[in-house]
Amino acid sequence: MVIKNKKAQMKIQQMMFMLLAVTFLFILVGVFFLAIKLSTLKQSATSLEEKNAMLLVSKLASSPEFSCENAFGAKASCVDFDKVIALKEMKEYSDFWGVAEIEIRKIFPASNEICTSQNYPNCGIVKVFESKKNALPPSTNFISLCRKEVSERIIYDKCELALLMVSSEEKG
Amino acid sequence: MQNKKGDLEISFGWLFAIIAGVIIIVLAIYFSSKLIGTEQETRNAETGKEIGILLNPLETSFESAQTTSITIPVETRINNGCSIIGAFGRQTIQLDQKSFNEWTKTNINVFFSNKYIFSEEQVEGKKFYIFSKPFDFPFKVADLVYMTSANEKYCFIEPPEDIKEELSNLNQANILTEDCVGDEIKVCFNAGSCDINVNYNLGSVEKNGETIYFDEGDDALMYAGIFSEKAVYECQLKRLMLRIKTLSKLYESKEIISEKEGCTDNSLFGDLEILNELSEGFESSEGINALEIIAENLENKNNGRRCPLW
Repeated sequence: MVIKNKKAQMKIQQMMFMLLAVTFLFILVGVFFLAIKLSTLKQSATSLEEKNAMLLVSKLASSPEFSCENAFGAKASCVDFDKVIALKEMKEYSDFWGVAEIEIRKIFPASNEICTSQNYPNCGIVKVFESKKNALPPSTNFISLCRKEVSERIIYDKCELALLMVSSEEKG
Repeated sequence: MQNKKGDLEISFGWLFAIIAGVIIIVLAIYFSSKLIGTEQETRNAETGKEIGILLNPLETSFESAQTTSITIPVETRINNGCSIIGAFGRQTIQLDQKSFNEWTKTNINVFFSNKYIFSEEQVEGKKFYIFSKPFDFPFKVADLVYMTSANEKYCFIEPPEDIKEELSNLNQANILTEDCVGDEIKVCFNAGSCDINVNYNLGSVEKNGETIYFDEGDDALMYAGIFSEKAVYECQLKRLMLRIKTLSKLYESKEIISEKEGCTDNSLFGDLEILNELSEGFESSEGINALEIIAENLENKNNGRRCPLW
């Protein structure tokens, strides 16, 4: 009787271990599968963000917050320097375009000085908007950065070659 | 196995294995179905985001209008949502797609602050036509996007010549200006017995027994009224007013900067401030005329400046 009981107990223990092992196996497979799914999801979210930045940079110069409109005559890919400096101070736009960073760099004449309201227009880099998010390498587009220059009694348009840079956010 | 006639003796091992097996199979089926559902929701959200991203190239520079089409492999319902949250409000896109002949509903909304889509609240089909047009008030405010399903055809009956020319140039397959068959949605100008009636001189569009108002002479809002439901139109118009408010602040700042640089001119500051206040208090399209007067005034003053702000 005692021997039979012990044998049954052994069988129960054997079964429990087996069941635990099977459960662990399923959990491990599930976790592994979820990790792969999550990483693909993050990848596709990041690639969508990159695509957004790439398509946005080609048309951002035409958006009302950046474009010269008719202030400098009809010019393609023209960004209004005065407007951009004013835009930099407006916190409302921090999440408007759904990207991590927007920056404008003058190419010619080049300058590494970051633009502030104090040193404007004698500067070369405008950080229009930068977030604390993980930014990916930027998508870029060439633009003309224009403003009105007053010299004695003449007001003329001064346009410089610049690079518009849009960085998307890395997800995860 | 059988100790008595009719009695079935099952060992503990067997019983345990059967119960554990059943539990494992039930759990596997449950999680698989959940996973398929999540997968579908993910795909819908991805497609929604992709649609929003594909609207980026529709930003116009010197063009008066642009058109494109999107084809989705499966039958899709695009739910166009709009809300007045935050500084610019939000455009939401939510997709339902057909899977095994049944619509899979998703609760995932994709948000955009810089898009303005005018359409019915729900647009259904596989192919969607999208065209965009800039909205100026008096400066450029945004590019309005009009989305229609290829399943729905619009017939414009006797439109003004410039509209007819613009629509013909668009070459959008579901917009006709002549040779209408009869099963299209009829859009009439200054005649009152069509599905959609446009009073071009008064600046109003009557659709489904409801009337919306647009800025006379601005076709961008007129198209918006034609292609969208009143609720969508009014909400998107409020969002546009929020953008006008912020843009007028931007131009106020620009004026200060250009004055500092020596570009002194007739100040637009006061008028921009009025536009800012009126756009903030904007309630519905009925009040658009009051703003239109300010916008016209601003446009004239800006054109007279040596350093125009826009």
